[in-house]
Amino acid sequence: MSRLVAAEALKVVTTRLLLWLGLLLLGLELLVIALHVSQDSLDSLAEARNQRDVVSIAAVSALIALIVGIVLAAGEYAHGTAAPTFLAAPVRERVVAAKLVVGALAGAVLAAAACAFAWGLAALLLSLRSVSLHLGSGAVLRVLLGTILAAAIAGAMGVGFGSLTQRQTGAIVFAFIWLLVVEPLLAIAGIERFAPGHALASVVEAGTQGSDLLSFGAGLALSVGYVLGFAILGALVVRGSDVT
Amino acid sequence: MADAPPVEARGLTKRYGSTTAVVDLSFTVPRGRITGFLGPNGAGKSTTLRMLLGLVHPTAGEALVQGVRYRSLSSPAREVGAVLEADGFHPGRSGRNHLRVLATAAGVPAGRVDEVLAEVELTGAARRHVDGYSLGMRQRLSVAAALLGSPELLVLDEPANGLDPEGIRWLRNFLRSFAADGGTVLISSHVLAEVAQLADEVVIIHHGRLVAHESLESLTARAAGATVVRSPDAARLRERLAAEGVEATEAGEGALHVTAAPERVGEVAAAGGIVLHELRGEGASLEEVFLQLTGDET
Repeated sequence: MSRLVAAEALKVVTTRLLLWLGLLLLGLELLVIALHVSQDSLDSLAEARNQRDVVSIAAVSALIALIVGIVLAAGEYAHGTAAPTFLAAPVRERVVAAKLVVGALAGAVLAAAACAFAWGLAALLLSLRSVSLHLGSGAVLRVLLGTILAAAIAGAMGVGFGSLTQRQTGAIVFAFIWLLVVEPLLAIAGIERFAPGHALASVVEAGTQGSDLLSFGAGLALSVGYVLGFAILGALVVRGSDVT
Repeated sequence: MADAPPVEARGLTKRYGSTTAVVDLSFTVPRGRITGFLGPNGAGKSTTLRMLLGLVHPTAGEALVQGVRYRSLSSPAREVGAVLEADGFHPGRSGRNHLRVLATAAGVPAGRVDEVLAEVELTGAARRHVDGYSLGMRQRLSVAAALLGSPELLVLDEPANGLDPEGIRWLRNFLRSFAADGGTVLISSHVLAEVAQLADEVVIIHHGRLVAHESLESLTARAAGATVVRSPDAARLRERLAAEGVEATEAGEGALHVTAAPERVGEVAAAGGIVLHELRGEGASLEEVFLQLTGDET
């Protein structure tokens, strides 16, 4: 199993996918944090709650991790590499399990880099505006750690979903439509907090959330449940499908 | 399972909805031989090979490699090397990294990667992204991947597709060398001339069904009018051939049509001290036999 994890990790680092998505993420953070710090009043920026909001842009890394996970699983079918992968490791469930581990690790690493960059950039720009820093507060640290945890879960969730669909582009498009359109619509029925995106958001918020999200514990449990559900269904589909 | 044939298909059937790709197909591949797996396009060759390699699930029957199902092989890369289509690569990954990934997954030492790259003469392009590779280079990379675990069995699906003459020659020489070292090869193709130069045995399928499985020599010889022989003592030659169980018919002017290879007819004549004025094979190429068996669908 360890060699399959190593092989999947090697797949991630031997293409430029993670590099480009990472640069996209850092660029987005740079833009949002710079706008936030430059536009807000000094009084507003001095509040710990607002400094937490400044760095919380790093939570976008969970979305990027979801994409990485989808690509890690469904990309095998997009590029035709599923055949050599399953020739080298014919017990396909083990391959899916290895991808789940690597998807989670990639998500965590990506999020850790995003959090470190957001924190450092916020500290720099707030200092330049002579704002007293509260970036070491519990609220800030909780959201950063929650982001890393949520991204790890999202990476694994992406692997499960990608394994289930075996369609890279379709899965990514579906995920965006789900998160941007379907989940907000679920709010009409008042059940959006149980949807995957909101469950992950409750992990990011790490106990500081408002009434539209589940508690941290419930959100974490539900998110892990989604991962397990997608992973089991995905492994069954991968095992039963023909690689043509 | 040392006594098991390297490859064995037992009653393999594969249906896709209402389409049946392979029907009750059974054959074995003998150890240390090159077996050609022939059939027109769409005959079910690729589906069969993918069933043998565990990539496609049979609807019925069993596909065994080294005596077990592919999924049950403890170390598949060390048992079987497979060359499938030439697009099983991530375009943004280098050829060397492609092999590193597979070697890691298969538990093959990393040092083997550079060895197989040298073996297929790809060392110079090893660090280039695969999207910059020609079709021939991709085929070589596929062969390199198949060789990672130093297997005794190679399964190749239409490996000559898209190769230029130099690439085909390289592949032919490579497979001959592999077989000369005791390796077993199962190679599918509809490039009949290519297989005729390589194979010891042929398995021919048509519409997913087995239509022939025999040595290349006997397949060629059993075509109608395999040999034309002319002798001033044709009647005696015909008697001696009949005594050997070989059928011969008169073709006029002392000539006989014999359903055997020229070598066999020559041996019978020599044993009987019979003078021959002419001895020639009568166009029983593998391609002609193939067309007889499968129709004109190549």
